[in-house]
Amino acid sequence: MHSRLVHLLVAFAFAVVLGACGKKAEPPPPAAPAPAPAPAATPAPTPAGVTLSSVSLGKSVGADKKVTATSEVFAKGDTIHASVDTSGTGSATLAAKWTYSKDGKTAAVKEDSATITPTGPATTEFHIAKPDGWPLGDYQVEILLDGKSVATKSFKVQ
Amino acid sequence: MSDMPDFSNVQGGSSSTAAKVYEVKPGDSLSKIAKSEYGDASKWPQIFEANKDQLKDPNKIFPGQKLTIPPLA
Repeated sequence: MHSRLVHLLVAFAFAVVLGACGKKAEPPPPAAPAPAPAPAATPAPTPAGVTLSSVSLGKSVGADKKVTATSEVFAKGDTIHASVDTSGTGSATLAAKWTYSKDGKTAAVKEDSATITPTGPATTEFHIAKPDGWPLGDYQVEILLDGKSVATKSFKVQ
Repeated sequence: MSDMPDFSNVQGGSSSTAAKVYEVKPGDSLSKIAKSEYGDASKWPQIFEANKDQLKDPNKIFPGQKLTIPPLA
């Protein structure tokens, strides 16, 4: 009895397999068309942009806005200049953020910005002065170009 | 009370070999702008000349106007 049941099950399974083999397979779905090749990109014109070249500190600047003698040490009564050289053309906003540090604390001294429209290499000068003299200590100027920090320079007043 | 120095009286500014853009503020005049940008109020005609496309009268400038400040000749 048991063996007849097994035979029946095997026969049934065989029939199912045969039936499946005889069934016409459905055609595979058509492949998604290949994306049309992107049109050759027209080379974008080189974007006009202003980039920072260098920053120098000094006690005075010439008509070319460059410091006459670089210095990182100043006296109490000095006017402190940061001369920022840029290259490139277009419009850009330069900013100078001056800070003072003491015992791990930092205080804002002054922040100035200038929007420039250079047509080539240019020099922009930022300066600070304090009528009653600078407190002795460590200072820093951070230069930002269009809001992004691009350079920092440390200096001392002693 | 902070033991940091007072920097409220610090004076600052900027100048450039490139033309600058200046946004007119209430109460500004060309001579006042020339004083702040060049350190010399009498240089205002340079600013007027550089902005003749938008200024017909040197006495009529408006807050928000953007003026080109040419480098000093």
